[in-house]
Amino acid sequence: MRKAMVLFACLFAGTVWASEPHGGSAAAGEHGKPHDETDAEGEDVAGYILHHVSDSNEYEFEIPLSHEHVAFHLPKILIPFHEGACTPVVDPHGGHGEVYPGLGAGCLDLSITKHTVMMWLAALLLIGSLLLWSNRDKTKLVPRGAGANLFEMLVLFVRDELAIKNIGKEEGPRYVPYLLTAFFFILFMNLLGLFPWMATATGNIAVTCGLAVCTFIVTQVAGIRAAGLGGYLKHLTGGVAPWLWPIMIPVEFLGLFTKPFALTIRLFANMLAGHIVIFFLLGLIFMLRSPAVALVSVPFAFGIYLLELFVAFVQAYVFTMLSALFIGMSVAMGHHDDHGHGHKEGGESHDHGKAHHA
Amino acid sequence: MTDQEPRERADAPGSELGETARQMRAAEPYISAVWKLVGGAVVGVLGGYFLDKWLKTSPWLLLGLSLLGIGVGFYSFLHAMARLGKRK
Repeated sequence: MRKAMVLFACLFAGTVWASEPHGGSAAAGEHGKPHDETDAEGEDVAGYILHHVSDSNEYEFEIPLSHEHVAFHLPKILIPFHEGACTPVVDPHGGHGEVYPGLGAGCLDLSITKHTVMMWLAALLLIGSLLLWSNRDKTKLVPRGAGANLFEMLVLFVRDELAIKNIGKEEGPRYVPYLLTAFFFILFMNLLGLFPWMATATGNIAVTCGLAVCTFIVTQVAGIRAAGLGGYLKHLTGGVAPWLWPIMIPVEFLGLFTKPFALTIRLFANMLAGHIVIFFLLGLIFMLRSPAVALVSVPFAFGIYLLELFVAFVQAYVFTMLSALFIGMSVAMGHHDDHGHGHKEGGESHDHGKAHHA
Repeated sequence: MTDQEPRERADAPGSELGETARQMRAAEPYISAVWKLVGGAVVGVLGGYFLDKWLKTSPWLLLGLSLLGIGVGFYSFLHAMARLGKRK
């Protein structure tokens, strides 16, 4: 559905762009405006969208119903690995101004950005909501209030429907704290992006990559716990003759990264796409230069906004579900290789860790 | 908290794995086998290309390692399939 929306928006924009010369000449004839101005405005919409969804070193507040902006410059933290490594250079990509060299040139950029602030805010909301709504009064079994009940519902959902159903009854509860953290952190980051003056940190590939790395580490630790270090390393050889290991070990090693790669790209692309579609629909008003377009594009954008609200939950759910699934597969593979007792594939749960640990 | 546990245990519906988890676990050996088939060729070609560039032996290592990679990919794929057949 979302892909269809993106496709629709792209096709619509493509049609507008393709018809620009005729409309443009008419406009030039009627209003005396040259082609270039229309093209520049079209590019401005794209530039505005990219500026809004990308990360930056300043936090910008737009004052409603005016063209004024209030910008806060966030601190720049640069750690040079050698003398002069962080000296700014002229943008090699032809952009305006200067840029700082990357890690390859020996400059570690730990600057606080808009998305970093959003992550901190999400973390604060997560900790705050847990402190506020956790059942602190141990004499009462049932927590009181809508917030506490909503949280309990979500926590139980992650535990029962995601952790236990994907990892298993015995091993699942061990990974519930990680899955809950991932779920609520992503959920808060996704929801923050829907508020005015806020940004979606999950629309940044570095953030989603960091989250996927966390899942990757947990998955590997789960595999090592289930199969033992020997079994885990043996699995990396692919079960072929030792003289083929120089080829097979890199293959198996690269294979480990396919799952976190999928997690990274999926969350990043989904969160970015929704925001781009909303801005693009609103941008059509300026691209087509007619306020009448707002009659169509604003309700459409509102619809997509509501869809984004749903998507914020869905994406948090999918990331957590896939993390649990990968952890479960890792645990099952470890147990399988360990015992070789011929479970039917896809049949019984391989999760009998408790018996073995005991 | 302790008096809560029996209630939670009794309520927990996750005594069985979910359908997706079961299907993914069933598919995992096959996905892994396909990755071995493709990965062998990819590692062989890329390894050969970069070694050729580094040692300036173009195109011999690219050709040799590509063939070796494809061969190892096929071998490990067939090996994995045979092992799956035996397990069934």
